[in-house]
Amino acid sequence: MATLIKDVKLENVPTEVLFDKHKEFLQSYEKDENNYEYGMTDYLRISGMYWGLTALELMSINTKNQKVIDFIVKCQDPESGGISGCIDHDPHMLHTLSAVQILVTMDEVNAIDVEGVVKYVVSNQQEDGSFTGDKWGEVDTRFSFTAVATLALLNRLDAIDVKKAVEFVQSCMNFDGGFGSRPLSESHAGLIYCCLGFLSITNSLHIVEQDTLAWWLCERQLSSGGLNGRPEKLPDVCYSWWVLSSLSILGRIHWINHSAIQNYIKACQDVETGGFSDRPGNVTDPYHTLFGLAGLGLLGDERIIKVNPTFCMPQAVIDKLGLKPQILS
Amino acid sequence: MHGRLKVKTTEEQRIEKHKQQQKKLAAYRMGMKQILSTRSIDSYEPESLAICTQILSGNPDIYTLWNIRKEIILIEIEKSKSNDIEGEDQLTKFLDNEIGLTETCLKSNPKSYGAWHHRYWVLLHHPNPNWTREFNLISMYLSYDDRNFHVWDYRRLILQKKGETLENEIKFSTNLLNENFSNYSSWHYRSTLRKLDADTVGNELTLVQNAVFTDPADSSAWFYLRWVLSHPNIPCGDKEEALESFEQLQELEPECKWVLLAKCWLTGSLCLNDKKHVDKRVEYYQQLIKLDPQRKGQYEDYLKAAETKKAVGDN
Repeated sequence: MATLIKDVKLENVPTEVLFDKHKEFLQSYEKDENNYEYGMTDYLRISGMYWGLTALELMSINTKNQKVIDFIVKCQDPESGGISGCIDHDPHMLHTLSAVQILVTMDEVNAIDVEGVVKYVVSNQQEDGSFTGDKWGEVDTRFSFTAVATLALLNRLDAIDVKKAVEFVQSCMNFDGGFGSRPLSESHAGLIYCCLGFLSITNSLHIVEQDTLAWWLCERQLSSGGLNGRPEKLPDVCYSWWVLSSLSILGRIHWINHSAIQNYIKACQDVETGGFSDRPGNVTDPYHTLFGLAGLGLLGDERIIKVNPTFCMPQAVIDKLGLKPQILS
Repeated sequence: MHGRLKVKTTEEQRIEKHKQQQKKLAAYRMGMKQILSTRSIDSYEPESLAICTQILSGNPDIYTLWNIRKEIILIEIEKSKSNDIEGEDQLTKFLDNEIGLTETCLKSNPKSYGAWHHRYWVLLHHPNPNWTREFNLISMYLSYDDRNFHVWDYRRLILQKKGETLENEIKFSTNLLNENFSNYSSWHYRSTLRKLDADTVGNELTLVQNAVFTDPADSSAWFYLRWVLSHPNIPCGDKEEALESFEQLQELEPECKWVLLAKCWLTGSLCLNDKKHVDKRVEYYQQLIKLDPQRKGQYEDYLKAAETKKAVGDN
């Protein structure tokens, strides 16, 4: 029985990273309000802003912008303190982190009610240490990460029960050393990033089976050079970030082939419109553009501002806050 | 935007598409405005609810819309309490409709977090949830896509409600694997069912060895094998035997890196860690660097460790 390996073939790979095209792509994204994709995704605007603005920051563009700050302020719910994806939508942990990441990068965090944000994050911690995404009860390790990342950026990690939060994340560890969204859930590179990021922020990486997990992660690299998120799945540019940042946190980024993944990421650029897509030939978007650029940054491309693997933000911003997320050697 | 192919279009097609999209966008904005402006925690307008159904069917990721529906369900629950005779029946009908909507949404987007969560939340608020029916349904979904982790996670939630014997779940897992050894999700599931111990480890080793021999090129079972082999309760004799059978497999599949990896794990484990095996391991890693250059960095780290050990042994 022969196994068909799922992968893609790369053709006509651009030899360069098309920085100017990518800047243009991101900067024009929010200019046309009647752009269909833009208009139909209004409910996740705050996270969309984080992807686009951070990608621009990584290309050395100062994104500080009063309009963005005012928009975020309007998205904060005065009652719960949480921040929504868009005006008139409900607060959620994912958008709360994105908003804080944007404001911290702009050095404007006091524009919002910081204590309100802290109160919101605290309100989503459950008895068992886990976090829900909002008051409607969906539990996921993504929210454990967003909780501690948000609080760490606000220097208020002390507001939650960190010990219990770590115990919950530890209970999501699997036979392969990876992590899933809840206890007993299958390992997935995106959730592994969330859990390693969580453990990095809470200084608890000692619970990880470093080499078992790093092996699983480096096996994500396919012949095309691209990385997938789980065994027997197709490669996708966003895993360039989830896998590379995880390997960086584990001190094992040298366990995969750098030029091959760089080549795959370059192949996912659209030479006409700019931006990166998940796989070569697909439609580009700000999400994959950030994770493509950030991935190249972790691989040492010096034209990209140094990026922090735990927070996916410029390293200089993390340094300025005095944060030292744990990294294994 | 995952997996959306960029298609070349003519100018005419482009203009037509743009027109259609602008129409859709305007309808979306008008619908959202109607829903959001009539939102209230103690009453709701059926018309807004109908628009909400329509928009969610097109995009189940608009999380606020699911929240609004939950608020409406809470209103319906209160209403049912004030009507002793028909209250429960009406509520059941209402909630069954909600479950139907999640089904529509999940058919078009089986990975929608919001739709999965809503479905479970509705069942938790249902006066007579039929967990068995739900469990059978979800097990059927699994046969459409046996790698969708949302389906597996949801199945686990329902299982906890319905209850099932461990024996039956082990049988379920064995059947899945016998149908298809190359399914990582099934191996993962098996690892969650019970802890490896002296009583079970032999059985698991036989099962997984069977799998890797059937299809050595498929990665899934090899991850499970590494886990089983890491267990301290495997008798040395069994390890020697396993090593021998991998030697044979390697003769048939000389290009298969997984076989070499398995030999590294075996020779690196406690009772096979003598000088002869350390020497061999140095050789294996040198071969792996050639066979699987993408992960050269990893093999070089292990090679260095094996060489150090070898040097210590030689002295």
